[in-house]
Amino acid sequence: MKILVCLKQVPHQDARLDIDAAGTWIKEDNIKFEINSYDTYALEEALRIKDAGEAEVVVTSIGPDRVTQALRTALGMGADRAVHVKDAEIDGSDALGVAKVLAAVAKEESPDLVLMGLMSDDSNASAVGPMIAELMGVPNASSVMKVELADGKVTCERELEGGALEVVELQTPCVLAVQSGLNQVRYASLKGIMAAKKKPIDVKGAGDIGLSGQVGAGAAKTTIDKIYPPPKGEGAELIEGSTGEVVEKLVGKIKELGLL
Amino acid sequence: MHEWSESQQMIRDAVRRFIDDEVAPQVEELEHGDLPPYDILRKLYSTFGMDEMARARFRKQIEAEKRGEETKKKSSGGDPESRADQAAATLIPIIELCRYCPGMVTAMGVSVGLTAGAILSKGTTEQKERWAEKLLTLEHVGAWAITEPGSGSDAFGGMRSSARREGDEFVLNGSKTFITNGPHADTTVFICKLEEEGVDLRDRKILNFVLDRGMPGFEQSGALRKMGLHSSPTGELFLSDVRVGMDRLLGGEAALSRAGGGRESAKGTFQTERSGVAAMALGIVDRCLELSLKYARERVQFERPIGEYQLIQDKLARMEVARMNLQNLVFRTIELSAHGKTMTFAEASAMKLYSARAAVEVAMEAVQIYGGNGYMSEYVVEQLARDAKVLQIYAGTDEIQIRAIAKDLLAA
Ligand SMILES: Cc1cc2nc3c(=O)[nH]c(=O)nc-3n(C[C@H](O)[C@H](O)[C@H](O)COP(=O)(O)OP(=O)(O)OC[C@H]3O[C@@H](n4cnc5c(N)ncnc54)[C@H](O)[C@@H]3O)c2cc1C
Repeated sequence: MKILVCLKQVPHQDARLDIDAAGTWIKEDNIKFEINSYDTYALEEALRIKDAGEAEVVVTSIGPDRVTQALRTALGMGADRAVHVKDAEIDGSDALGVAKVLAAVAKEESPDLVLMGLMSDDSNASAVGPMIAELMGVPNASSVMKVELADGKVTCERELEGGALEVVELQTPCVLAVQSGLNQVRYASLKGIMAAKKKPIDVKGAGDIGLSGQVGAGAAKTTIDKIYPPPKGEGAELIEGSTGEVVEKLVGKIKELGLL
Repeated sequence: MHEWSESQQMIRDAVRRFIDDEVAPQVEELEHGDLPPYDILRKLYSTFGMDEMARARFRKQIEAEKRGEETKKKSSGGDPESRADQAAATLIPIIELCRYCPGMVTAMGVSVGLTAGAILSKGTTEQKERWAEKLLTLEHVGAWAITEPGSGSDAFGGMRSSARREGDEFVLNGSKTFITNGPHADTTVFICKLEEEGVDLRDRKILNFVLDRGMPGFEQSGALRKMGLHSSPTGELFLSDVRVGMDRLLGGEAALSRAGGGRESAKGTFQTERSGVAAMALGIVDRCLELSLKYARERVQFERPIGEYQLIQDKLARMEVARMNLQNLVFRTIELSAHGKTMTFAEASAMKLYSARAAVEVAMEAVQIYGGNGYMSEYVVEQLARDAKVLQIYAGTDEIQIRAIAKDLLAA
């Protein structure tokens, strides 16, 4: 059994985000990064499968040098090895470009399962998982809440709108994009972190995976025009006064609007 | 070493995440409620495999001892880099915990460092197996008792606790105070003097005995109320005619004929204790600086954030200087372990003196930056200031460190 886990490194949830000069992304220097929270659940799920039986867990990520840290963290948690796709040519890729790169890595690795988070904390697109499946020509399930493996098949529970669950069965190989909260993500043990230094990280460029000239800003069909904070909303009413007065006015307001 | 390595930063991030999730929400209960720190510490140990690592290291040492090999004190093996990582893996949780709860570090350090440490350095192989392993993994809580109502800085000279030999047994008497983990300890190392006919009290042989909770005649008090460090229970111990066999005398019969009267080995314990204080101080200072910067940016008086006033900037800059110095001291500690070296007693004292003073000064200045809020519990710096003060008192007071440094300087 081989599992490929795709990880994205995103700005740390506590990082201060300032929009860059071009107004199309955030300033990345001097901020802390971490593994996309959704992807940590995917990694945990892969590690649980490994703990329960025999599996090799390979992690992969696209990005500059800083991405090594995310990969090392995953190795510290128990992944066996990593593939780091690092190439300036890939910068500016849209979701399809990213999916092409990950699908190319997946084709080289030919895993039984490709796991990743449902979306990324920073771009919220949920596009990459299904695109990889399409590019690989394999089945896909999104918003996965439970994974069960049995002879060449994967049974998944998917979360639907309104809290209902759907059970689907997929042939392997397949791509699963997991929902957050499907498991409790482990901490890397100290021994694991120290051992991670010795685990291999393969660094590859676009050319190494046969994608030279096919990804990056030039090939992107989606571009970011502008990023800006939403304008301050109107219609908010500030209730002032002592605590007692505020409570009274607030209760009056709730009644007035017929909310109770 | 001039900066944290990548894997050390990973350890820090992982431990910090654990502390955010498991310790921070419980600080109130730990500091102002009745929640003892041990279960959270055990969870820290099991989460990061620190218990397994400690057990593996312990088993390796015991096996070597049984084969009759000379065991080097810190036989953690490996290349300098992995030794550095091991040292860092011990210090980083101390630093990170101290950002929230220096008391937890005290409880942990006394159990794992002092109590297990004393048994490991003085005990027979049998005694180590009987008591140290469970302490090292935090399965059991340990206390190390030297201080008495009448003897603190002059720990050995003024000590009155005694062991009277009766055949192959000893009868122990005495009382101890300010004993960390005293109220909860499963295993206590009790330090006392052998009753020797015609020998002056000051010159009597020092012996270490291991006591279990509940032994007849051995009473462990509840927790004393104190200024800070509320998450570390501190108590008194009372012994009246506690009968023990030779098996509880650390080092066994050989300890009775050891030269130096047992004073030297206790010094070794003081030394480890002192080097941990730099890491504790770094945690306190790092958090105080972080909180102070936040407040200096946000708090507006006279229509400006207070961080724009030079008097506040001076405090922030001094905090940063202290943080850098402390971090460098911690780096030095790691670097020394990487090369299998230890600090001299005087150097450990100097480091402890500086660290304790820096922590107190920074924490008090953090209170000042927070103004009235700083004096209120809600804003945390108040707790850190109370907690920091203990660093100038335990593990040898500032005055005692100064004495050790000066003695060493003048002897040269
Ligand atoms: C929270 C806490 C936890 C503790 N945990 C433990 C523990 O687990 N086990 C344990 O055995 N002990 C423990 N202690 C005790 C601690 O080690 C002693 O309090 C400390 O060594 C000082 O001793 P003392 O309190 O008797 O003060 P004293 O020795 O009475 O000192 C009083 C003052 O006189 C000064 N002084 C003393 N001698 C000299 C001198 N020669 N020259 C100049 N000044 C001098 C001191 O520096 C101090 O300012 C703990 C204490 C505290 C507060």
